[in-house]
Amino acid sequence: MVKQKRSIHETAETVIVDDVTSSEEDHAFTDLSKNLAEIRKAEGVIGYILRSTTAATIDLKDPENIVEYAILSSQVLDSSREISELFELGDVESTLIEGKETKALCLVIGENKISIFMEKNADHADILKRFSP
Amino acid sequence: MNNNVYAFALKSTLDEIQGACPDVSNTFIFKDGKILAKGETTDENTANLTINAFDSITERAATMGGLETVTIQGAKGRVNITCMNDFYLTTVLSKKADEKYVNTLIQVLIPTVIKLVEKIHPISADDETLTVETEPAEEEAAEEETESTEEAENESVEEEETATTEPIEEEETPEVDDEPLLPEPPVTQLIIENLGGLLVPSDTVRIDKALITEWNDLYGDKKIEEVDLETLDGKTTRCKVKPIKNSKHKEKGIIQMPEKIQLTLEVTKGELVMVKPVIE
Repeated sequence: MVKQKRSIHETAETVIVDDVTSSEEDHAFTDLSKNLAEIRKAEGVIGYILRSTTAATIDLKDPENIVEYAILSSQVLDSSREISELFELGDVESTLIEGKETKALCLVIGENKISIFMEKNADHADILKRFSP
Repeated sequence: MNNNVYAFALKSTLDEIQGACPDVSNTFIFKDGKILAKGETTDENTANLTINAFDSITERAATMGGLETVTIQGAKGRVNITCMNDFYLTTVLSKKADEKYVNTLIQVLIPTVIKLVEKIHPISADDETLTVETEPAEEEAAEEETESTEEAENESVEEEETATTEPIEEEETPEVDDEPLLPEPPVTQLIIENLGGLLVPSDTVRIDKALITEWNDLYGDKKIEEVDLETLDGKTTRCKVKPIKNSKHKEKGIIQMPEKIQLTLEVTKGELVMVKPVIE
């Protein structure tokens, strides 16, 4: 059993929650974090949530809505898997949800779950390409 | 009745889309958690489970200002749930589907059909329970119950859920769908003649057979057995109608009226009355 260490760093715009483990999957998690940090700079991107089985990184413009975004992100991934199973579409590669004001791109990459929140006019197709193998 | 018009128009459109795009494997339209119409190949239970999963996202999408579209890309295909005129359209496409073609077709066809149906039959407040693939008799029964109580609404939904798949041909000819397309009953002015005698029924007027034939031609197989009468003063009554027996009175623009009906309408022989067929 790996001992988990939790740290919370908060700035005016960024909240990061880390559950650090020494497993190999941390490498993929770190790479994705770097990739997301770049995407975060793109025009129209509001923020992102990255979760693995042992760690989570959240970077959002409005920290007061972190819980709502986190719950939404989790629900989107669960419902997408459910719908995909109903229509026998295999593993879910990505889910795009569009609201009246914003949209979110949710991805599952290995053990890592990603949700990127952005303005309606942001280029989600370009962001999706950045995760293509 | 409006519900049936919607369901029929939308179902036909979905079937057409699936016919034109074989890579579209499932389609259905829902509103407020209830299925309005679904394509022939779509299982009702699957559609309901999809709606539940979609609603779970909607409940948590307040931070996004409400949910409009969900697109799920799976390894073997894609599911789109799109909001259109307050309705949600779900399409399931295989991976090889020409998405641009399908989207163009859907984004043109569905809103057009919805607008058309709304123009013909504006949706009413009673349209909470929209029927799908029930037999005409069941639909009529369900509608009557819907108008009376909310409890009946639940019953009609249960009926929908247990309904089995019907061939399209059977759905295309429900009587309720034809009613709104009937022309307005024509109004004819006739001169009142007295009608008396021992064997004359007091609740029946007689008019030209040609006029009844004309009405029959207008309404096809609808049987016209009654007419609405209205005087120039605005007094009205409804009574039975039969053709004039005496050939001397034919094609004279008269209506033979028993004294009882004349008293009801406060009219006498020689006065004018407007006659309108009652369509059963």
